[in-house]
Amino acid sequence: MGRIRNLVAAVAVAAIATTTVAACGGDDGGDGSDAKTLKLWHYESANSAMGVAWDRAIQIFKDEHPGVEVQFERKAFEQIQQNAGMIINSSEGPDVMEYNKGNATAGLLSSQGLLTDLTDEAGKRGWADKLSPSLQTTARYSDKGVMGSGNWYGVPNYGEYVMVYYNKDLFDKYGVKVPTTLDEMTAAMDTFVGKGVTPLAEAGAEYPAGQLFYQLALSKADRAFVDDYQLYKNPVDFHADPLKYGADTFADWVRKGYVAKDSASLKAEDMGTAFISGKAPMIVSGSWWYGRFKSEIKFNWDSFLFPGNKLQAGSSGNLWVVPANSKAKSLAYDFIDITLRPEIQDLIGNNGGVPVAGDPSKISDPKDRKLIENFNTVSQQDGLAFYPDWPVPGYYDVLVAGFQGLINGSKSPDQVLDTIAKPYADGVKEITGK
Amino acid sequence: MAVTLTPADRAVTPRPPRPARDRHHRGASRWIVLTLVTLGALAMLVPFAFMLLNAFKSPGDYSTGGPLSWPSEFYTKGLRTYWTEVDFPVKLWNSALIAGSVAVLGVVVSLLNAYALGIGRVRGRLWIVGLFLLANMLPQESLIYPLYYVAKEIGLYNTRLSVIIIFTVIQSAFGTYLLASVMSTFPRSLLEAAALDGAGRWTVLWRVVFPNLRPTLAVLLIFFFIWTWNEFLIPLVMLIDNSTQTIPVALASLQGDRLMDAPTTNAGSLISLVPAVLFFLIFQRTLARGITAGAEK
Repeated sequence: MGRIRNLVAAVAVAAIATTTVAACGGDDGGDGSDAKTLKLWHYESANSAMGVAWDRAIQIFKDEHPGVEVQFERKAFEQIQQNAGMIINSSEGPDVMEYNKGNATAGLLSSQGLLTDLTDEAGKRGWADKLSPSLQTTARYSDKGVMGSGNWYGVPNYGEYVMVYYNKDLFDKYGVKVPTTLDEMTAAMDTFVGKGVTPLAEAGAEYPAGQLFYQLALSKADRAFVDDYQLYKNPVDFHADPLKYGADTFADWVRKGYVAKDSASLKAEDMGTAFISGKAPMIVSGSWWYGRFKSEIKFNWDSFLFPGNKLQAGSSGNLWVVPANSKAKSLAYDFIDITLRPEIQDLIGNNGGVPVAGDPSKISDPKDRKLIENFNTVSQQDGLAFYPDWPVPGYYDVLVAGFQGLINGSKSPDQVLDTIAKPYADGVKEITGK
Repeated sequence: MAVTLTPADRAVTPRPPRPARDRHHRGASRWIVLTLVTLGALAMLVPFAFMLLNAFKSPGDYSTGGPLSWPSEFYTKGLRTYWTEVDFPVKLWNSALIAGSVAVLGVVVSLLNAYALGIGRVRGRLWIVGLFLLANMLPQESLIYPLYYVAKEIGLYNTRLSVIIIFTVIQSAFGTYLLASVMSTFPRSLLEAAALDGAGRWTVLWRVVFPNLRPTLAVLLIFFFIWTWNEFLIPLVMLIDNSTQTIPVALASLQGDRLMDAPTTNAGSLISLVPAVLFFLIFQRTLARGITAGAEK
């Protein structure tokens, strides 16, 4: 991965250096209402919720635009992740594509003038009304490429959020009830520890540990904290609550045996398979597991929102973006519009995904419905708090290193907060110039 | 690399004819060495065994039992999914075309370069060879943006030709370095004899130098092919259409944002590995033939 990170950095630097070139080439796309082909890329697998729903959307698009050829290609995530800037800066790019949300991805490209401003379309076609404020955060970027305000550069189609998945059979076996507050959750985990079962599978080598820390911090946080941490409204003090509470509680959980010490070196995949194989009663992770759990788990399981939290780690999913070089912009807008229709949104929901504008009453499977109801609850109370590694580039590795130390006991919570505070401050300085 | 350690002709000889007296030299140390080599070989095979084991396992099976468990059913859907979803025959053709062209072109360019440097003894050859080596040591990451920019400007972005040109240059940098040092040890008397017979430079290259270097060139060919076959980064950047992509890039499409599908990835790796292994096995025979042909002369 180190090689790849270096590459991303190198490409980013080079891309910034050529921003002027990009800006000059950005205007020849035109409206393209007479275009006869729509080049469309995304990177969801064919049998995933989004893959299924978007296949249907392509079909509808074809029916409504006879005479227009749709050139759809399924791409490798990594290829888009690494090369999007280079691809859409050439004439070989797509007319509409799925792209990662966030400052380092969609934000960066928008600030380089490589993406089409969708603000007018969002107003005209009613996209702005369909998406709640915390979903819009990742769709809009300032001229510096910082999310949260400014023009629309992308349109999300699905959402994601972090929740607690639990093994119902194990809960029944040990007489544990679904917790509704953090205290009940702690009590439930004590029960498991008392019976010699580690209650929570964790993965210190990848994103899950950082997300658990963030969830714990969010239990003491409000929207102002999220704005400070994610959108740099005010400086963040790492040695005060909520972040201090998050780190202390995490360390507490490790000490009490809720989280196994040897999970420091595990990957997300290991955590997931520990749950699927029925060894772990609970995991705290995102809705991206849902489809896989549904098809692979043989015991009874379900999910609940992280107990007591009003804010949850989560966000909109990836975005539809229209490259500035697109030759069929109005067709691209039509396609995006179709993906937000109730029919497609319900299809996402019925296949185990989380639609952004879904109607739970249209979802047949009760477990799917609950997934979407929970998301709607969070989204409507403006509760999506994004992810801990978002604020500054390269922060993912910082968090992983920090919480690995916390899980294996080589660092105290204070030391961990120190290690993660400095890169954050440096990164924010770089972005805001303050 | 073993090739640089001994004169070219011997370099690739896998088993020199063993003198009969060796039979009387058997001691305990021979058995120890044999055991170590066997263990080493087995250790090398372990990853392949895992790949094979998991390629025929269903995702559910993998998640519940882990990578070590024995599959509960013989699951081939992973293989079929991979084959159809990435349109494997197209990728196979692309990879074969690119790696094959690079292997042949790279060897030809290396040979011509090295002839000038190693036998022609041009002025400042040490520096030129050093420069080639440097070009080979540069990390690809630092080359990628200039390459992208040039390819885009001259209209070769997203074509297989761009990748063929790039790798021909990169591989022949190594080839030139290697062959130039091999050729500098080429027996002078042979060259002088040829010159006395009235052979020009071109004739010397094709009639004297080339036949003697053939085994080394064959090894280079195989290396170039396999290295290029496995290349990921430059094809990933330069080939953006599904119709021009190579196998390693296709394999990467199985890895998602946050999820991985281990059995399908294993199945994909298995299919993707087979052509390279076949190529190696086939050319291993050609290689051996080439050596015997040289010995008869």
